[in-house]
Amino acid sequence: MTRAAWEVELLKLRRSPVARTSALVLVLGTAGLSAGFTAVGLGDGESQMAVKVRPMLQGEGWAAYLGMLGQILSVAMLLCVGVVVCWVVGREFTDGTIGSLLALPTPPRAVVAAKLGLVVLGGVACSVGAVVVALPFGAVIGLGPPDLEALRAAGRVLVIGLLTTALALPLAAVASVRRGYLPGVGALLGLVVVTQVVTVAGAGGWFPWAAPGLWSGMGGAEAAAAVTTVQLLLPLLVGLAGAAATVGWWAKAELR
Amino acid sequence: MTTTARPLGSTDAPVLRLSALRRSFGPERAVDGVDLTVRAGEIHALVGLNGAGKTTLMRLALGMLRPDAGQAWVHLPGRPEVPAWRAPASLWAGVGHLVETPFGYPELTVLETVTAAARLRGLTPAEARRGAEHMVTELDLTHWARRRTSTLSQGNRQRLGLACASVHRPTLLVLDEPSTALDPAGVLVVRRWLRAARERGSAVLVSSHHLDEVARLADRITVIHRGQALGMLAPGGVDLERQFFAMVYAAEGPADADADAGADRVALGEVR
Repeated sequence: MTRAAWEVELLKLRRSPVARTSALVLVLGTAGLSAGFTAVGLGDGESQMAVKVRPMLQGEGWAAYLGMLGQILSVAMLLCVGVVVCWVVGREFTDGTIGSLLALPTPPRAVVAAKLGLVVLGGVACSVGAVVVALPFGAVIGLGPPDLEALRAAGRVLVIGLLTTALALPLAAVASVRRGYLPGVGALLGLVVVTQVVTVAGAGGWFPWAAPGLWSGMGGAEAAAAVTTVQLLLPLLVGLAGAAATVGWWAKAELR
Repeated sequence: MTTTARPLGSTDAPVLRLSALRRSFGPERAVDGVDLTVRAGEIHALVGLNGAGKTTLMRLALGMLRPDAGQAWVHLPGRPEVPAWRAPASLWAGVGHLVETPFGYPELTVLETVTAAARLRGLTPAEARRGAEHMVTELDLTHWARRRTSTLSQGNRQRLGLACASVHRPTLLVLDEPSTALDPAGVLVVRRWLRAARERGSAVLVSSHHLDEVARLADRITVIHRGQALGMLAPGGVDLERQFFAMVYAAEGPADADADAGADRVALGEVR
């Protein structure tokens, strides 16, 4: 029955305009934006954009470019995966079709586990996709062939993608308990605001939603170096806790 | 009246048995001590006004809601009778339902939707494809089979919901207002399909506002009002509408001021 849940949820996700749009933004949008900013920042121009972008570019060449991709992805991934996870988990509540997922030999916990599992796989796939698309874009802006630094920076982008995907999972619990995707989206916006405030207040590294962004270099090279391994593990724990709470709620609550 | 499970192998045991079933939402008693049975090869109709408690009753029967008191028991062939609330997931392979909004996703085609419903109901991929094609034909949806469900009319969407509910040939069917949005041709299609299900031996619990339709279709008709089973109407009887309203008005009258109405309710109340 678990396999059936994965098949059905995969079909729905593949066809979902929300998921397709988010995937496009994450793969093409982030890579394209990074290439554009990097080209402007590494160039000789003194435009307002060049001046503002240069502090975001740490290092040179591919490392700077993929570092920029990691920074953009740390924000875009939380927003896009957050919206998608709220949508896939909350849509049946909002549409009033949740009853059609009940009283089936495929239990609700299997259905929601498949939803969350596919969102995680989708997030990882989009991270890989963004890196893959970034390679030809890098060549186009004149960075030459990727070097060893590029490989290391690409690995960092993938870790950032995984961590921010995990950070979106607790929103599934909000969309479930509040019975709809909009409360989840509201919580997502709240998270973004709180993350900004906490980061400005100086507690960023220990706030799981801020740690990947800081590690990506959004707060500068010094703040990135200060992020510890334990702080980077917290997002994974948060994601696991969010997923477990969601599956547990679907298994036990009266779904209506 | 018993609220305990019956042993495996009872022959004439009902497939669905509601026993003193009660459920409130806040101060509102949506279902208030209903007893009711549905047997194999029988269509048992629930009739009642909007908000009478029919949908809540069906959701309790399907284990979607936790009863405050009493229990809904499901007894499928070859299995022990079990309470619907927290029933083992495998039980539902023998049950089909359409309660409120039908199963359906606008981004999927009709055939994909029925196939997805079949997979979630325990059919193998090959069985699901065959079953979906069969149900699409049976419910006269072939013309729309490869179209997105978002393009369907409300009536066709309802037939799609019925196809999803029964693609796995369930022993027990629970259907909430299955004919509401249908045109006259659709009503005939669904009537024929429900009769075929009964002839195959399925137990069917169906709710409706349409007394004429249930009179043509049902073997038993229970009147639900304010969460209670007021009594039964004879499907072959004359002027069902008058009988229905007589029952409802009697229930609405002040209990202490109209003892006759109360007596009538008891006389009519085979299911209470």
